[in-house]
Amino acid sequence: MNTKESTAGKTVRIVFLTLWLIFTVFPLYWITITSFKPPGAIFAFPLSYWPEEFSLDNYAGLFDKAEFGTYLVNSLIVATVAGVLATAISMLSAYVLARFEFRSKGALLMAALVTQMIPAFIALGPLYLLMTDLRLVDNRFGLVLVYVAVCIPFCTVMLRGFFENIPDTLEEAAMIDGCSRFGALFRVLLPVMRPGIIAAFIFNFVNCWNELFLSVTLMNSDDNKTVPTALNGFISSFNIDWGSMSAAAVLTILPTMVLFAFASRHIVQGLTAGAVKG
Amino acid sequence: MKRRNAVAALGLALTMTVTGCSAMGGPGDGTVTLNMVESLTNPARTQVLKQLIADFEKRNPKIKVNLVSPPTSQADQKMQQMLQSGSGVDTLEVRDITVGSWSNNGWLYDMSEDLTGWSGWRGLTENAVEAATDAKGRTYFVPYGFYGMSLFYRTDLTAEAGRDKPPRTWDELVEQASAIQDTSKRRYGYAFRGGPNASSNVTAIIEAYAADRLDPANGYRLTDGRTVFSAPEASAALEKYVELFKKGSPPSSIAWGYPEMVEGFANGSTAFLLQDPEVIATLRESKAIDEKQWSTAPLLAGPGGKAVQPLATAGWGVARGSKHKAEAVKLVEFLSQGEASATFAKENSLIPILKQADEDPFYRTGPWASYVAMNQAPDTYLTVTQPRDAPWFTEWTQKADADVQKMLLGKMTPKRLLDDWDAYWTAKWKNGKS
Amino acid sequence: MRAGTELSEHPPVRRPSRKGRKEAARPARRQDGGRRKREFTARRGAMIAGFMSPAVIFVAVFTYYPMVAGSQMAFRHWDLADLTDTSFAGLANFKEIFDDPLWGTVLSNTALWVVASIVPQLVIGFALALWLRRRFRFRGLYQALIFFPWAISGFLIGVLFRWMFNSEFGVVNDLLMKARLIDEPVAWLADPHTAMVVIIVANIWYGVTFFAIMILAALQSVPDEVYEAAALDGAGKARTLFQITIPYIRTMLALTVLLRIIWIFNFPDIIFGTTGGGPNNETHIVTTWMIHITQQGDYGKASALGLLVVAGLLLFSVFYLTATREKGAKS
Repeated sequence: MNTKESTAGKTVRIVFLTLWLIFTVFPLYWITITSFKPPGAIFAFPLSYWPEEFSLDNYAGLFDKAEFGTYLVNSLIVATVAGVLATAISMLSAYVLARFEFRSKGALLMAALVTQMIPAFIALGPLYLLMTDLRLVDNRFGLVLVYVAVCIPFCTVMLRGFFENIPDTLEEAAMIDGCSRFGALFRVLLPVMRPGIIAAFIFNFVNCWNELFLSVTLMNSDDNKTVPTALNGFISSFNIDWGSMSAAAVLTILPTMVLFAFASRHIVQGLTAGAVKG
Repeated sequence: MKRRNAVAALGLALTMTVTGCSAMGGPGDGTVTLNMVESLTNPARTQVLKQLIADFEKRNPKIKVNLVSPPTSQADQKMQQMLQSGSGVDTLEVRDITVGSWSNNGWLYDMSEDLTGWSGWRGLTENAVEAATDAKGRTYFVPYGFYGMSLFYRTDLTAEAGRDKPPRTWDELVEQASAIQDTSKRRYGYAFRGGPNASSNVTAIIEAYAADRLDPANGYRLTDGRTVFSAPEASAALEKYVELFKKGSPPSSIAWGYPEMVEGFANGSTAFLLQDPEVIATLRESKAIDEKQWSTAPLLAGPGGKAVQPLATAGWGVARGSKHKAEAVKLVEFLSQGEASATFAKENSLIPILKQADEDPFYRTGPWASYVAMNQAPDTYLTVTQPRDAPWFTEWTQKADADVQKMLLGKMTPKRLLDDWDAYWTAKWKNGKS
Repeated sequence: MRAGTELSEHPPVRRPSRKGRKEAARPARRQDGGRRKREFTARRGAMIAGFMSPAVIFVAVFTYYPMVAGSQMAFRHWDLADLTDTSFAGLANFKEIFDDPLWGTVLSNTALWVVASIVPQLVIGFALALWLRRRFRFRGLYQALIFFPWAISGFLIGVLFRWMFNSEFGVVNDLLMKARLIDEPVAWLADPHTAMVVIIVANIWYGVTFFAIMILAALQSVPDEVYEAAALDGAGKARTLFQITIPYIRTMLALTVLLRIIWIFNFPDIIFGTTGGGPNNETHIVTTWMIHITQQGDYGKASALGLLVVAGLLLFSVFYLTATREKGAKS
């Protein structure tokens, strides 16, 4: 903006941004602090805002009592594979929806929107029966398939926005040079779209990483559980284990945080390209 | 180079998902894999079960057991889904509150024939044998233990408040709880139950107040055939109960369920807790209070000096859809006798199903002593069966819990609540069995 | 020219010019299509089908099929307490919902939940986006820090806020008492009104990010020339915002808001993790109520409620899209 900022405006801005930062970060600070308090100290009164001693008991407990490592690995695998597959499949459909006019296009876009309106709970029962028939209950690959389906609609719409912002002269030039449509998509568009693809993947990954209800429904054995299910399990019928819970929460947030820290530039940049068409 | 690494990693991840399927099929050497589902899950209990299962597998090399432990809050729903699909469950946890509707839906297998002549029967207590067989002689589950309530109290806090004995009656509880309560120190009297299953404690106090006129076969019924909620004692009981909430309990406890109550006691902030013996195990692990700071006392009595023990139970059963019923029953048998059963009851602090427990010193000392004391005075501590196996019992608790919260929030008078409950059960008894 | 701060506010993001694209791309396609149209149609159709089919198959099998199968339960007696009778029930389940004393509470809660969540999310998100366009020191870090609530699961956020608002050991009460704003601990989650405040605050905390990201992205698509022209006209800040910036990004804004409304409507996780709909079932929104009914075992009623959700949102979306489009046509 070319307008000069007044001192008052600047003050407002700085105050607001600071307050918001505190509001955003404080809950995370608090859960982190809680996780490092020795189990007895969590309920000590008055509350301490900085633990007198940092204890790793809560973290050790996670790997002793529950197989938290297994859950982390499961979540990582499922979210990564589902994120990649969903992004790849959505690229194809998004490309078609961006580049071609055809009769069922409007209906397809509406169908994508409707998927966002379906409450997961209406479908859980039949989905469980379906997965039983497919012999994919309690199977990480089965969960991946379901997650891919969950991610595709929004991902397609998002990627469609990116494609629309890339002039089609680009791949047409490539096709005249002898590339097939598919080849053109890969060799020419992919590099240009990289930020958008990264943004779409991160969105999918985060969605799958955090998903609870489908995972509880479809996974049975301990070896196949994902992290959100385990978190829910810390509210057992006996007590709410706040210590383990906060330690688990920190471990759950960490991977997505690292991902975000590395990619936040890409996310904005990627969405920039796509946002206009939404 | 970078790209190749990424592709390799993805390929590896894909293979892992595909090969990750467990419990499907298995090697073709006649090994059977059972799926066993628990519902009152907690990490410590799951560990115990895993050990028992390992032992079972060692004795039965041709049987593998895959334990499924869904989070408690969603366990019932998940089990229902599995049962409805007709596969994936062999052995499962059946509770007195679920057996009614599940057997009604044809999801449970009647084990009575398989269990005729089973040697384990002889080891079971009378209560256990009775709970294992329904009115028509069918066995849908063999109990693994009983849940009966006792009062957990903080010895240090009651002493500080100048009381040398724990409360014996509900009256005394209210008095002591309000004396101990000091909100400025975050210290509260009673770990009140206002959330899920709040109604169970409300009926407990009502039954204690009307103890003299209760039908032993159905705790919700008076000897004259009317409901316990119609009795005048019931409204006196409710008044006392509301007083307990207002004067002696943390305000947030209006939303407390099982976990919050236990947490409230285990973290040292409340002085009294009315709970199952199961809690003993949890409290022993508490880092906030040590074992010298708390003890248990018998159940609270009403004005008539009598208390009512609402016995609840759960056990192991077999799904009707199971393809390996013989092996599944074998697992139930294994868990219901001998060392396995004793270990499970002890580790989870359940009232045991085995007769031999009477001689076990474990149950004579410490927190368990009050259970023994209650058992030895059956005229004061009446054991009354609750209508928990009625098919509508889940519906009832949902409704009753909501009503209790309404009453505590002042949105429903105690009288309205009792009239309502009276009408509910009168209508149900008129239409149905039970 | 003074040193960079004001002039280099736009990060050098690669940004395709809208104008350029329209002029260059469209005629090219028309020309091309005219010449090879016929041989193209068959291959074109095959390609569309080929590229679309994986997505369509996935969504049809794993989303639409279970939903359709699930919705037939809405017209049957389907109560897990008694599955011996699963006969056709007509509209009985729907009637049961409308007759339920909770229905009114649930509807007004849902409206409150959506409106009270989305308005602050939008306003704060917009403000953040406007301010984040400026370059300042540590902007990258700042952005990363405030963006990532979005990466945390709703259930976990619910649990986190439940812990902070715990009346006995919660940090919120402690801070408020230290600030002398309250004298004794407030039992936040014990009263339906304050509980509602907690879950909405949690949702705002979570959802601002999405708006900030989307709007920030959209803002970077507004060409500098537009602002320069506005500045030349002597337009003030407010005028620039309302007459230039907002109209420029309105399509995207409208769609983002719609999507968020749908998502928030269908977002039981936070409430599930904090209050679970209580106390006294007074913090249920439609979707948590649906979970509650499912847990009671009445799948028929739950499915009927699910269908009502889809129908309501569909109707709303059509109205919303029509309304925003008409306005768009006028300007």
